[in-house]
Amino acid sequence: MRNDIIRYALTLSVIALLSALLMAFVYGLTKPAIDEARRQDFLIGLNAVLPEYDNSPDLDAIIIDNQSVYVAKKGGAIVGYAAVGHSPKGYGGTVSVIVGALADSTISGVVVVKHTETPGLGDRIITAAFLSIFEGSHISREYAVKADGGHVDQFSGATISPRAVCDAVNTANALLVKGLEYEY
Amino acid sequence: MNIKNFTDGLIKNNAVFKQMLGLCPALAVTTTMLNGIAMGLATTAVLAGSNVVISALKSVIPNKVRIPAYIVVIATLVTMVDLLMNAYLHDLHKVLGLFIPLIVVNCIVLGRAESFASKNGIFASLLDGLGNGIGFTLGLAILAAVREILGSGTILGVSLSTPPIIVFILPPGAFLALGFLMAGYNRLFKGEI
Amino acid sequence: MEYLLLFVSASLVNNFILSRFLGICPFMGVSRTLDTAMGMSFAVAFVMTVSAAVTWVINAFVLVPFELVYLQTIVFILVIASLVQFVEMVIEKSSPELYAALGIFLPLITTNCAILGAVLINVQQDFGFIKMLVFTLGSSVGYGIALVLFAGLRERVAFSNVPTSFKGAPVAFVTAGILALAFMGFSGLVK
Repeated sequence: MRNDIIRYALTLSVIALLSALLMAFVYGLTKPAIDEARRQDFLIGLNAVLPEYDNSPDLDAIIIDNQSVYVAKKGGAIVGYAAVGHSPKGYGGTVSVIVGALADSTISGVVVVKHTETPGLGDRIITAAFLSIFEGSHISREYAVKADGGHVDQFSGATISPRAVCDAVNTANALLVKGLEYEY
Repeated sequence: MNIKNFTDGLIKNNAVFKQMLGLCPALAVTTTMLNGIAMGLATTAVLAGSNVVISALKSVIPNKVRIPAYIVVIATLVTMVDLLMNAYLHDLHKVLGLFIPLIVVNCIVLGRAESFASKNGIFASLLDGLGNGIGFTLGLAILAAVREILGSGTILGVSLSTPPIIVFILPPGAFLALGFLMAGYNRLFKGEI
Repeated sequence: MEYLLLFVSASLVNNFILSRFLGICPFMGVSRTLDTAMGMSFAVAFVMTVSAAVTWVINAFVLVPFELVYLQTIVFILVIASLVQFVEMVIEKSSPELYAALGIFLPLITTNCAILGAVLINVQQDFGFIKMLVFTLGSSVGYGIALVLFAGLRERVAFSNVPTSFKGAPVAFVTAGILALAFMGFSGLVK
């Protein structure tokens, strides 16, 4: 009886140990590729909102209130800034955006990087036609949809999703304003 | 005999339509055909792997602790598939997300380990795993094709220029499409099997 | 307020069964009558909350500090499996009535992806301890609501004249589809 229990424990331990070793091996093997893939994802977002640059903005970040403002440089001179903003006010959940700004405090671009809005209705917030409204305006401006007295277009049947985008852009902008004032 | 191990899982005992196993991923990731097939193939890899390993270990594992041992084997394989997909098929991994680690609790995997691999040889278990896995993939692909055609008006990303009926890519459409497909399966195969 | 929103979002807007598709197998299996649906809901709520708390502690104090995050899946499923076993033993000894009510559902819960799903979502969302508890409670309440509502519907469907090909599972899925459609009305509630 006692022998049986020891045998059970031993067999399970050996299997668990082998499994752990195997997983650790695969983890070590895939870690660099996973980190790189995650970084590329983020860089695609940054590329979409920033003007042309030649540094690595994700590594060249300034930290303000524990959040990052990404700085894009070309030939050593700063050409733009980018920040991430979230809003929990989406129809299906959190909406996350990246906002890019030029050194003169105008918005160079906005992309939605994460959302769970309704396909066919709220998810029109990812289209360039909708997002282009932000381009060229000042980052200290408060954005709102037309229904709330702002100038951002809402869609018929979907006011909440654009409202969440405005909210997320405003959070990112607040960070950008601080980033642009940052003294090295 | 060996061929039968493979073909039984395809239609006669189809995991989705007949055994009704693994329905969570079947409903959740089938918004496009590509996602459905990818999920099916990830499950097939785990299923074939776990069947082979468990069949090979069946004389070593004491009967009383077999279930925990199976769970460890399956979870290890799932973690490996999860990491490999995250590294080399990153975009697909993002879409399938939570449902890759959840292959651990997919009843098909533990079910085949318990009812087939623990009693049969390695080669037969491999075929059984592949057959059931591909049957599952087939089920997912059919459900996903129906949902993609109706819900997005595309198939494998190619536009069919039909008007999209959005509800089919939303959660309710998943249940509706599966209900009607299952009724169709019953209608086609009832009496013959 | 934030916690209330999280609770509503977890229970109604992103309902585990009808919107996230977690825990479908028992949803179809035990929803034929109201009684079993109630029993299953309580068993799930109990195991989900306990395992979420235990795995949260293990993750925060063992896996993350020692950079063993890749062991999450295997550790969590083993924790859930042993917890289910343990809970079964405790209930059997301490409360035979409760055991008679929940006992048959407990073994089914290990492979209920709602439990592992809830635990994994907690970790992925980086919830703090309180947020994790609120989310888990909301999820299990939502799970129970969907299960009980669906069982009520199925009791009615059982008496109606369903076409042969649709008998059993197919009509249940169509019913679930209509219920999910009704639950879509909850989205936008959190804003």
